[in-house]
Amino acid sequence: MKLVREIFPLAAVLVLASAFCGRASAQGIDPATLLKPTSDSWPMYHGDYSGQRHSHLSQITPANVHELTLAWAFQTGQTTQIKSSPIVAGGILYVSIPDHVWAVDARTGSRVWHYNYPPNEGSHIGNRGVALYKDSVYFATPDNHVVCLNARDGTVRWNVVLADVKEGYWSSVAPLIVRDHVLVGLSGDFDNLPGMLKSLDAETGQVQWTFYSTPSPGTPGSPSGGATGGNMWITGTYDPESNVVFEGTGNPTPVLAAQLRPGDNPWTCSIVALNPDTGKFIWGFQPSPHDTHDWDAVEVPVLVDGAFNGSPRKMLLQASRNGYFFVLDRTNGKSLLTTTFAAVNWSSGVDKDGRPIRNAAKDPARDGRLVSPDEGGATNYRSPSFDARTGLLVVSSRDAYGIYFSKPEHGTVGWGGADYEVFGKAVLRAIDYQTGKIRWNHDLGGGGAAAGVLTTDSGLIFTGDSVRSVMALRTSDGATLWHSAIGHVGNSPITYELDGRQYVIVASDGALFAWALPEKSVEQTRFGSHK
Amino acid sequence: MMSFLLYSLRARRRCGLVLAVLICIVAHSYARSRNGQDLASATSGSAPLGQIQARQELFSARCGVCHGRDAAGGSALGPNLLASALVAESGKERSQTAQAASQSANSRSYPPDQIQAGRTLFAAQCSFCHGRDAGGGESGPDLMASALVEQDVHGEKIGEVVRNGRLGKGMPAFDHVDEQQLAALVAFIYDRKVKAKEGRRRTVDVSDLQTGNAEAGMRYFNGAGGCAKCHSPSGDLAGIAGKLQGLELLKRMLYRENGRAAESSPGDGRLAEPSKAIPTATVTLPSGETVTGKLAYRDEFTIALTDPSGWYRSWPVTRVKFTVMNPLDAHIEQLAKYTDEDMHNVLAYLQTLR
Repeated sequence: MKLVREIFPLAAVLVLASAFCGRASAQGIDPATLLKPTSDSWPMYHGDYSGQRHSHLSQITPANVHELTLAWAFQTGQTTQIKSSPIVAGGILYVSIPDHVWAVDARTGSRVWHYNYPPNEGSHIGNRGVALYKDSVYFATPDNHVVCLNARDGTVRWNVVLADVKEGYWSSVAPLIVRDHVLVGLSGDFDNLPGMLKSLDAETGQVQWTFYSTPSPGTPGSPSGGATGGNMWITGTYDPESNVVFEGTGNPTPVLAAQLRPGDNPWTCSIVALNPDTGKFIWGFQPSPHDTHDWDAVEVPVLVDGAFNGSPRKMLLQASRNGYFFVLDRTNGKSLLTTTFAAVNWSSGVDKDGRPIRNAAKDPARDGRLVSPDEGGATNYRSPSFDARTGLLVVSSRDAYGIYFSKPEHGTVGWGGADYEVFGKAVLRAIDYQTGKIRWNHDLGGGGAAAGVLTTDSGLIFTGDSVRSVMALRTSDGATLWHSAIGHVGNSPITYELDGRQYVIVASDGALFAWALPEKSVEQTRFGSHK
Repeated sequence: MMSFLLYSLRARRRCGLVLAVLICIVAHSYARSRNGQDLASATSGSAPLGQIQARQELFSARCGVCHGRDAAGGSALGPNLLASALVAESGKERSQTAQAASQSANSRSYPPDQIQAGRTLFAAQCSFCHGRDAGGGESGPDLMASALVEQDVHGEKIGEVVRNGRLGKGMPAFDHVDEQQLAALVAFIYDRKVKAKEGRRRTVDVSDLQTGNAEAGMRYFNGAGGCAKCHSPSGDLAGIAGKLQGLELLKRMLYRENGRAAESSPGDGRLAEPSKAIPTATVTLPSGETVTGKLAYRDEFTIALTDPSGWYRSWPVTRVKFTVMNPLDAHIEQLAKYTDEDMHNVLAYLQTLR
């Protein structure tokens, strides 16, 4: 009897362990599949390397979307808003907020494991998501650690420090996996610190290289004109064919007090092309030369291959926080098109290289300047989506005004000024990438920024308004086809298909909501043609 | 007495620890105060009586079912917290802190530990908008120049804003902040207020906003700006410069966040001028009946108003016809028309309306 008591648990462990190992190869993620994600996954922040946030799934259509029903909800039990994009692979969904990661059954929403990072003083303003490589989950913490977790159970494999939180850096980015590189950009603009993007070895966490968008303060002959900043706090995109990573960089520091950083301040408020193996700089383009309003250019650099003026082009699209829409030739960083997509009053036109010309009269001043957009920007971290069938980049945008102040007494460290939002109006806009013209506007019903955007092959857009609804719109004209008042959607939606059922996932406050067609309708969709 | 307690502690430690972690901080603070009463020798400091009563209510409502209304253990589920090692340990440290804080609240100096705890919490949760030094940051004001902070004595005003937020002003609600965390935040903010170097503060002073020409502002007010269509210096704006100054006046002049009939404005009584900026909705029902009232809610799908008898009524927008008159539409249009000079001139004119 004693023997049985001792052996039985051991046998059970062995059986479980062998079952586990057998499944292990099927779960986690093969890095090669990142090049061509499968329909049962959303394996990285943008869904794929292009940053288009577009899915080829088409079970949910404009004709049946009104039937959408709640498949499941997952409550984190935290009051912190979910701003991250969940990552899905092997039937498991990974979702994060600052200091927390949950693994959740992607079919049912039941919790598999929870990882809780210790309290720390990094800014908890947001976490954009985790990254997945083989059977590891990578998580950037507010105090600039990257923690590698075992994707099976959330146990820590390693934990490395990228920067000192005491200096003023914090971290919020969803890492980008390129082969065995884990690319992690830092955040922080309240102190004069150089912008950094680091590549870690996916297996060991060792730093492979660091790209500095600006040099350390006081660097002689600084190419940035004395500016620091330019942190890369949104996940970049990657072109596997040319092996180039594209990153948007943040605003310069001091932020509003610009007199001590003359010139254009490269590479702040820029889009930069980098070699992912070495971190070597290839080219840069500056949406906001010598920014004086905190309009970083970290918004997703969307990669599109298609026609432009009748010729095939490899392009990069960005709807930038400063209110301008840019189309670049991504092979060389040259401008193809620059136009505004929201209210803008800070520039006096566009220069020969396609860069907006800053009107110095709108720089922050002692008595205040009324500026559009405001500091929150014409768009922000929430992802846009590109739909190749219609040629539309769909962007959550704002027409907004703020007042900007700066005076010598504000100092030259960090913010170096003060600014206040005056008014904003949120509008979803569909930009024709070939002309920059707005195809349609959809009023989002409020002043604050709304949600990120997802498009699908069936001609649908999933997003949220700025009041309290998740919505499905028709891509061709922006008409609302479905909505549910779950509360303000705080992240960028994702979709995947499991067991033949398409799920759309959005977050509101501390909960995830999974939408799908009713099981009955799924059956009809799949077998309707055999009737 | 102590040895008996320690003995019973050991027996209960296991389940006590697990459950004690699950219960909220309120349980700790109430239990600590109970502990303090029962074990005078172990804890020398105690919370003010009013706080204890409030905690007692919260404790019996949330925790009493398992731990007993007096924290001495209730059903089989909840251990006697008075005998918990966890409570005893935390009570020791924190009662000292609490004592120091309550003693020093009037002189506004705080124990270094509390300030440090506040600094960490502020850096994690508040610094993005208010700066790491509380001197102002991305869209958040310099807290050391805040009238509300100035008026606050024990954190009651700061606490209200932290917990309820300020809707329409961009301040989110941090309703999970407990008393101890709030005390730490207050300690940090006051410490900053005392030690702040002028060079790192991001204040907009009334004296910064004196660059306009009042006469030109009056002309714009009565002419191109169209302000006189709705406003009058002897009517609604009489004495405005005495009520609002500097940045507050400038922000109000440019635009004021729409109120809604059902929304109160917590902690902001000073600025409350009810009903003036609330849009009016007129809804025509399928029957042909029309209802007019203050707009109470609106999104793409629903319209609601507060009817003349004070009742909230809502309709799907597809079932009714409606119009909304927003008195602030002219302000929104004006934002695109103002030059900075116009803006400063009109402000200068308003500053003459004392």
